[in-house]
Amino acid sequence: MSGTSAVVEREVATSSAQAIVQAIKVRKVYLRGKEELTVLQDLDLTIREGAFEALMGPSGSGKSTLLNLIAGLDRPTSGTMQVAGADVGTLPERTRAKWRSQNIGFIFQTYNMMPVLTALENVELPLLLASLSSKERRERAKTALSIVGLSERMDHYPRELSGGQEQRVAIARAIVTDPKLIVADEPTGDLDRKSADEILKLLERLNQEFNKTIIMVTHDPAAAERAKKVHHLDKGALL
Amino acid sequence: MNIGLVAVRNLGRNKLRTVLTMVGVSVAIVTFILLRTVLSAWTVAADHAAKDRVGTRHKVSFIMTLPKRYLQEIREIPGVKSAAGANWFGGKDPKHDSEFFASFAVDPKQYLEVYDEIVVPEDQRESWFGNRQGAVVGDALAKKLGWKVGDRVTLLGTIFPGDWEFVISGIYTASRKSVDRSSFMFHYDYFNDSPQAAAANARDQIGWVVSRIDDPGRAAEISQAIDARFDERDIQTLSMSERAMNTSFIGMISAVLKAVDAVSLVILAIMVLILGNTVAMGVRERTHEYGVLRAIGFLPKHLAVFVLGEAVAVSVAGGVLGIMIAYPFVQEGVGRYLEENMGAFFPFFRIDPVTVVWAMVLAALLGVVAAALPAYNASRLNVIDALRRVG
Repeated sequence: MSGTSAVVEREVATSSAQAIVQAIKVRKVYLRGKEELTVLQDLDLTIREGAFEALMGPSGSGKSTLLNLIAGLDRPTSGTMQVAGADVGTLPERTRAKWRSQNIGFIFQTYNMMPVLTALENVELPLLLASLSSKERRERAKTALSIVGLSERMDHYPRELSGGQEQRVAIARAIVTDPKLIVADEPTGDLDRKSADEILKLLERLNQEFNKTIIMVTHDPAAAERAKKVHHLDKGALL
Repeated sequence: MNIGLVAVRNLGRNKLRTVLTMVGVSVAIVTFILLRTVLSAWTVAADHAAKDRVGTRHKVSFIMTLPKRYLQEIREIPGVKSAAGANWFGGKDPKHDSEFFASFAVDPKQYLEVYDEIVVPEDQRESWFGNRQGAVVGDALAKKLGWKVGDRVTLLGTIFPGDWEFVISGIYTASRKSVDRSSFMFHYDYFNDSPQAAAANARDQIGWVVSRIDDPGRAAEISQAIDARFDERDIQTLSMSERAMNTSFIGMISAVLKAVDAVSLVILAIMVLILGNTVAMGVRERTHEYGVLRAIGFLPKHLAVFVLGEAVAVSVAGGVLGIMIAYPFVQEGVGRYLEENMGAFFPFFRIDPVTVVWAMVLAALLGVVAAALPAYNASRLNVIDALRRVG
């Protein structure tokens, strides 16, 4: 099977796959003092398993809020947010934290490594919440680092890594628990073009080879081009 | 790796702050141990008092004297095996004017019989018994003032004026740690026959009597019997066990001891505030990081463990450092100095193992209390707000 036909086949499969994210009439209102601020208004969105989709929009358009709701970091004011088989808006805080640790991989703009831990230990961190032996945790962390191509840097501390390498460690940390969905908030925002390209290629690879569903918030049109689908938001609504 | 280990590893994040905090805790622990040792040193004489000794003094005040004949009458009371009188002399070495040491006149044979924990070599003991101007001194005092057996020394009388000539007949050591090894003891007869004693109306007077009894369980009963014997006389007595007598002396300075006790705890309370501020500063700086940890699934209780673990680790490390500093500082430095120079007040100034255990427990507790509020705040962080926080 040629590479092109394999991609086409996967895209056909994605279009017929089950929805992993289903937002129905999602509304999010924040209180600023006594004033109500509507950030998302009656938003409907469906993302299927295996998708790689980008959320774009100007500052204040609600894209990060939408990402937070999808990732179960926040609850909608009204509407339903079904993600990976759970109505995350209704889950109690403790259950939601456990759900996140099992279903969501996070990639942040500023990597957010713990400076006192090595690359391997940073990747191992989310596994401390799982019922695994120390040996199993290390093996899984090593595997995740090898996927992002940083096996030889596993004993390095974040200060000894470049920005691109740190972000790759962050990606390894995001995939080490084998989550169904990876949410990335401006993953290339702090990187130079070359490093950003490497990160985007890696995300593409995770999507295509490992069938990870990826939702990425970005301001960067070049980054959005790598996604299979781009959603544009403005004033809390999808365009 | 586990959550506790990550908390400990966090100490390496800002090494200077960690080291300074540890030093701060260690200084507080050293101060705590030092003050506690002062307290235990004050009470050591009472704690280690002989159970089979009863002290008798003037009923009104211990600075008033008793007739010497009372000594013989006390010896006749059933249950009293032996008794010795003593007179406070208040002499000082004119060459070492500022050095204080206890000096008193005793009957050598009777006194050593009652105080068998005072150890004088046999030949020196015989020499003292046979020399009217002879004196025995504690080894700590002899070392401090450079006295040797056979030296002729002159003391200046502060209560009984004049130059008093003595010969150092012996140097005593102690078989019990409550004994002051800085005392100077000489013949009662030498004192009693002096013109100074006559001039001060102190002839045939004794300051106090210490009796050895045959049954420690009857100390109270024998004390009552002694006092009853003199109840109808012009001069009445007050008798009590040696332990009670020492305790009553401590009772006179109980306010000072309570103040020392309070200061030792106040210092720890101040350290709680300082450590609490340091921990709170760390929590504020890591708010974004805690947001990330919460996002990837860590629970509020895990954040509390991170904060508490780090604070307890630094305070326990500070506690261990404090103990490592306090031991040589007290045992080889302050303690030795006080025993040699202020033996009358601190005959045994050494760290009690119980104090060390308390210091470690309090160091750990200090970490828990200091980190309690910052840990609570960290556990209450809103994930979204924490992720938005920069720096």
